[in-house]
Amino acid sequence: MNPAVHLDGITKRFPGVVANDDVDLAVERGSVHALLGENGAGKTTLMNVLYGLYRPTEGTVRLDGEPRSFDSPRDAINAGVGMIHQHFMLVDPMTVWENVVLGNEPTTWGGLRVDREAAREAVVELSERYGFDVDPDATVADISVGEQQRVEILKALYRGADVLIMDEPTAVLTPQEVEELYGVFEELTDQGKTIIFISHKLGEALSAADDITVLRDGVNVGTVASADVTREELAEMMVGREVLMEPATTPQEPGDRVLEVTGLSVDDDRGVEAVSDLSFELRAGEVLGVAGVDGNGQSQLVDAVTGLREATAGEIRYRGESMVGESRRDRIDRGMAFIPEDRQERGLVMSYDLTENGILGSQHDAPFARSGRLDWGAARDHAESVIEQYDVRPPDADAEAESLSGGNQQKFIVGREFERDPELVVATHPTRGVDIGSTEFLHDRLLELRSQGKAVLLVSSKLDEVQGLSDRLAVMHEGEFTGVVDPATVTEEEIGLLMAGESLDDDSVEGAALHDAATGGPGDDPDGATAGEEGVDA
Amino acid sequence: MSDPDADRTTSVLARLVGPFVDRTVAERLVISVAAILLSIAVGFGIVLVSGRIAECSTAAWTMPLTGIGFCYDPVEVYVVLFNGALGYPFAVGEPGLFNAGWTPLNLSFGLTLSETTLLIFTGLSVAVAFRAGLFNIGTQGQLVVGGLATALSILALAPLLPAGPVAGVVLVVVGTAAGAVAGGLWGAIPGALKAYADANEVITTIMLNFVAANVAYVLVLEVFRAEGSSVVATEYVPEYAQLRPWLFPTSSDFALVALLIGVGFIGALYYFVEHTSLGYDLRTSGVQAAAAEYGGVNAKLTTVRAMTLSGALGGVGGAVWVLMSEGRWLASIPDLGFDGITVSILAGNNPIGVLPAAFLFGVLKGGALEIGFRTDVPTQLVAVLRGLIILFVAMPEFFRMIGRYAGLGGGGVARPAEPDETAGGEGGEADA
Repeated sequence: MNPAVHLDGITKRFPGVVANDDVDLAVERGSVHALLGENGAGKTTLMNVLYGLYRPTEGTVRLDGEPRSFDSPRDAINAGVGMIHQHFMLVDPMTVWENVVLGNEPTTWGGLRVDREAAREAVVELSERYGFDVDPDATVADISVGEQQRVEILKALYRGADVLIMDEPTAVLTPQEVEELYGVFEELTDQGKTIIFISHKLGEALSAADDITVLRDGVNVGTVASADVTREELAEMMVGREVLMEPATTPQEPGDRVLEVTGLSVDDDRGVEAVSDLSFELRAGEVLGVAGVDGNGQSQLVDAVTGLREATAGEIRYRGESMVGESRRDRIDRGMAFIPEDRQERGLVMSYDLTENGILGSQHDAPFARSGRLDWGAARDHAESVIEQYDVRPPDADAEAESLSGGNQQKFIVGREFERDPELVVATHPTRGVDIGSTEFLHDRLLELRSQGKAVLLVSSKLDEVQGLSDRLAVMHEGEFTGVVDPATVTEEEIGLLMAGESLDDDSVEGAALHDAATGGPGDDPDGATAGEEGVDA
Repeated sequence: MSDPDADRTTSVLARLVGPFVDRTVAERLVISVAAILLSIAVGFGIVLVSGRIAECSTAAWTMPLTGIGFCYDPVEVYVVLFNGALGYPFAVGEPGLFNAGWTPLNLSFGLTLSETTLLIFTGLSVAVAFRAGLFNIGTQGQLVVGGLATALSILALAPLLPAGPVAGVVLVVVGTAAGAVAGGLWGAIPGALKAYADANEVITTIMLNFVAANVAYVLVLEVFRAEGSSVVATEYVPEYAQLRPWLFPTSSDFALVALLIGVGFIGALYYFVEHTSLGYDLRTSGVQAAAAEYGGVNAKLTTVRAMTLSGALGGVGGAVWVLMSEGRWLASIPDLGFDGITVSILAGNNPIGVLPAAFLFGVLKGGALEIGFRTDVPTQLVAVLRGLIILFVAMPEFFRMIGRYAGLGGGGVARPAEPDETAGGEGGEADA
């Protein structure tokens, strides 16, 4: 039997770049196939060839053995190939079923009237067949990201897709939603659909895919069955050399208190309390990890510490001084580095080149500014040094930030912030979207800062990252620390329980909280209200 | 293309304006020239149609072969528009490319440059606010207030100084400074309202235009009106304190020194925006407010600063209008502030671009006057042709601007053909 998808010797050249070089890929019907590779390995380009967005320079696309040539995604859709992009293409104010049929509505009156009943019926029937738990009449704006993704899948299925391409499908999902997505994969393949998904996460490929194809520098390094391969082997295929999966931390005696947070409460944009009466401290030469499902107050905590959001109650002391009323500018000047969660909203000015972005935050400080005038020569030297040290590609200080891939944008931000010579680094998802080779490097740099006596507040949704790098690990749930544990001894199950809001009864908590009384969970400080009246942090 | 919500809600807008967002300067220049040619082609048709509808004794132009006569000659209209605005440097219908005896120091060119000069200031005023992400529709009001402050301060000071060139220089400088301060304060009001009360600056600046015009009118009518004047106007400032035409004919109301000052302002503003820390703050707030805040920029203060600077530039425009064009403050003020909006859009909100944009406006103004002198084409039709050119040239830039404002561009919309580099990681992929 012919494979459902067979890419035969695909080469795709762009001016100056070979994105895919003679790539073969065969995907069996009814299987889940992961396309794994680092940023810039050519994964998305290859899938865009299959989806008709690009014409291959050389090579043939075969579906069920038939050679096909697509001029546009419409041709691909007609041939049964659907693609689900990472950013969804949904109309927020419309309902689920309206979104699904949009552009292909069943009509009556010779095409003049949309047959709403038939359309809705078709969508209901489709989502029942695949066991999707989506309310067809819900408005897309009101449903979760995971449900929106299922609506996207329904759209593709409604258009008759047999082969579903998904670009980084888990990037926007919570761990639970990822599990649900894997369930959807099973449901779809049971019914004969074929799934290809793009990923740069090893664990994801191993747990969700039947087969894994690794791309490196546009070349197919090999296709393996996920049952026959280990993480280490996959990592080596991706990077081309052996990768240490565990960062090497050495025990170290923490120094002075750098950050003391007492009774901190912070509201989110809607005015709902996102951080509730939180207290902890962070010392020099120490990494405090904050784990938790995204959206449990981590963002608001970080914003309050870095001066981007006012606290409603509580106090933040930084190197012994109260930060109440201190602006973001003051905190930068006092040596706070900040790797923000949203690199394209905050971390970089997308239309600026890297030279201009390299001074973001330091635009009033020497050597980049002298008596109010900017020294673009110094700025360029700085950008070039960050680019070189942190392996930002392309290595071009004139490249606009928006032209870089997500991983390279992230490397540039991390480099800029680490090279600020900070006393405190607040790092939110520092390696999100970064390939594993560079992740290793960024982790090493972070630990280097720690050994130089800097304090690091590390927020990450990657459990292995926070666990591997932290001296203490706080787990956040609904604005509170449900526990502060020793990352060396805690188990994933225990962290999972804490993330779900349950507390641990045994003494693994105590072991970690040894050197401070203020690490408090909710019960620690019955008089938290008094701390709350001390001042509002600006 | 970072926020998935914004991506979805703006997808229609993206398709409409996306192609205009990511153009380089060279591409934009080509687009502008093509737009002018296109607008002339459309204008041709309009001139012909109106020439057919209008009644006249002798046809200005007869279509070959058909023998149909038209009252207006479209070729002549456009030749007079552009050639006339410069004072006829090019020979038309005569041997040689240039007219012998043409000198740039002629009346028509003077009128053109006078308009250009005034629009440089109002264009810069609007541009600097746009760069900070603020739509200052209030340059007109700032110009009115600034001009009045200039006239009144000079009238108050002049009797205290001995008449003469030295006093003239002092009075011009003091008067212009007074205009800048008054315009700046008038601009700071909507800036502060925006920063501290979250009042939309488009609304407040429009409203303040009316306040400015009417308060100034009443003030002059009741308090500062010149004795025996039939119009609502102040006394003339002393002639030695005016910017008098120099080299150019007196009736052109064009002082070369004012144009040079305007060009100096362009250079200074360009330097400010591109080469100073405060300029970096300002334009970063304009393109990406969240990133500016992350970078330690005080958003509120920057809003007030930008609006103050914008208002001050409008005020200087008012000062130049009083000192160069009228010699006094007069209640009938041309729409320089509103034209400044179009000039700024045309210039892509780039200070350097304000010079050619203001010059194009000047040419259209000077040329329109010439058409009135030389042909039977009614002024209303000339206004239509001017409007067409501006509309065609400004529209791509305008699309670009709203595209940027809506946070488009830089993604897959305008340039789908990029390799995996832009599409590898999670986050900002070419996805449209």
